[in-house]
Amino acid sequence: MNTPAQALLLARRALIQFPRNPILLGFSVVPVLIMYVVFGGLFEGVAELPGFPADNYFEYLAPTAILLATVPGIGNAGVALAADFQNGYFQKLLTAPVSVGAVMLGRLLGDCVRLAVIAALVLVLAVALGAHVETGIPGALLMIAMGTSLGIVTFGALSANLAVRTRDAAAVQAVQPMAFLLIFLTSAYQTTAQIDSPVLRTIIDLNPAERVLRPMRELMLTGYDWGEIAVGFLAIAGLGLVVLPLTVRNYRSVYG
Amino acid sequence: MVLPQSGLPIGTLATWKGRSGRSGLHLSRAADVLVGMTKSSHRKPPRQLRPPVTPVVELTGSSALDELVGLAAGHTPNARPVIDAIVVEGLTKTYPDGTEAVRGISLRVAAGECFGILGPNGAGKSTTVGMLGTLIKPTGGRAGVAGFDVVAEPVEVRRRIGFAMQQAGVDEFATASELVILQGRLQGLAKRDATTRARLLLRAMEIEQVADTRLAALSGGTKRRVDLAASLVHLPPVLFLDEPTEGLDPRSRTGIWDMLDRLRRDLGVTVVVSTHYMDEGDRLCDRIAIIDRGTVVVEGAPRALKAEVGSDATLEDVYLHYTGRALEPTPVAA
Repeated sequence: MNTPAQALLLARRALIQFPRNPILLGFSVVPVLIMYVVFGGLFEGVAELPGFPADNYFEYLAPTAILLATVPGIGNAGVALAADFQNGYFQKLLTAPVSVGAVMLGRLLGDCVRLAVIAALVLVLAVALGAHVETGIPGALLMIAMGTSLGIVTFGALSANLAVRTRDAAAVQAVQPMAFLLIFLTSAYQTTAQIDSPVLRTIIDLNPAERVLRPMRELMLTGYDWGEIAVGFLAIAGLGLVVLPLTVRNYRSVYG
Repeated sequence: MVLPQSGLPIGTLATWKGRSGRSGLHLSRAADVLVGMTKSSHRKPPRQLRPPVTPVVELTGSSALDELVGLAAGHTPNARPVIDAIVVEGLTKTYPDGTEAVRGISLRVAAGECFGILGPNGAGKSTTVGMLGTLIKPTGGRAGVAGFDVVAEPVEVRRRIGFAMQQAGVDEFATASELVILQGRLQGLAKRDATTRARLLLRAMEIEQVADTRLAALSGGTKRRVDLAASLVHLPPVLFLDEPTEGLDPRSRTGIWDMLDRLRRDLGVTVVVSTHYMDEGDRLCDRIAIIDRGTVVVEGAPRALKAEVGSDATLEDVYLHYTGRALEPTPVAA
């Protein structure tokens, strides 16, 4: 059995687990939807400012809400991996001819499916609140794919590495606020033109999450901008090329 | 092919003679002959040998094992051992912080034998078994399991071993049945085969009634049995058990011991047990090696070792005799 097949088997294991852990499921869905509704309501007036790209603030905010679901949410994969380390199941899996990469990838893929469902719920809520997805269902699926991919190569990789290093679910959980920092340092709530600080604008421009958020927003508001979409996926691929070898190296340095 | 760290070709191992003076064959070839399982037949069992899809009902634990033996046709589980299933020479593990957990251990385990690695906590037992099970990378020496080198060919080793660890590694959200089936699938079994074997193994372990119960709800002893079933689902020729009865009550311990006896008798599995319970080694093992501070201090059949020390000697006395220190008593859970 090759690594992708093993990863799919292990992803299925994760998917079976989720309904058996209703607290995880509930608390990974409800806060995101509440944040979407609350932030959308609080900043609704921003949409009336001259030059703002959307008439309905919920439309502008929807891609941000997807990232709020996928980036911090993928941290659960790291927590689950740490739990597997703690209770010995990770080692048990490795007594079969299974690669470490398959075990980690399987967990991340399982969580990606869960997060994709949550992201879809965000978009359903957005539509219910009067928003419109300009690119329709294909664009919505592309947004979800970009959001979950960004989650894997950022906080997913970070949490998996922490799980390897600490074997402690609580330690992995503790870094979750970092994921929000990644999102808040983007044009998540207002356009960069509306931000006064040039330093902050530069930081936002350099943030890879911004490179993913922009094409997602284009898909929501205006249509397909393939140049921006390509840049977004290049940012994701670039991060992946950095973090995946680092993860393997980290594992080998700990477990030889 | 050359064994790492030694520079010796793998065939060199085969020139070693067993305790009975049997000459070895080329290990990688001979191991396949021994278990009647070529690499290709392991991955794809002949069609006519596949088990029925419908669940087998009204089986006792023994008949479930018979059924498993039937599934293992193509293996020759009751064949007499012709080579050493495990060959270890100068195996060493030094951790990055300088701790020498294992210092040049050498031993051989014949196919079909139950071999005990005994010693107090911290003696290096788990590290040794971990290296043989490919979970820990040795820093020196060499080891071959079922004819394959643990460093150069870890995947081939893993296809041929079952490993029940000191801490029963289970997924608390999975049911007993799901856990065993997943392990079987990861070992390359088709879903149908893995499902049938899981059912039979759980029945053989006398825990079929909890097949659909989540592991979080099971007792420690039952989890151990599920873990053991998962370790056996691919019917490996070699089984490693690291402290298999640690923390279990006497009744559960006896249950595990009886199960291991039946597995050896009916499936012909080579068993390596690491334990700090001397009575466990005495009860289960054909031969034992007592390990102290990372080295083997004595090796032999329990009865012979006890006889050398005194007429009424126990293995604790043997340990005292060879190490000069008494073994700290370890209470068994009530």
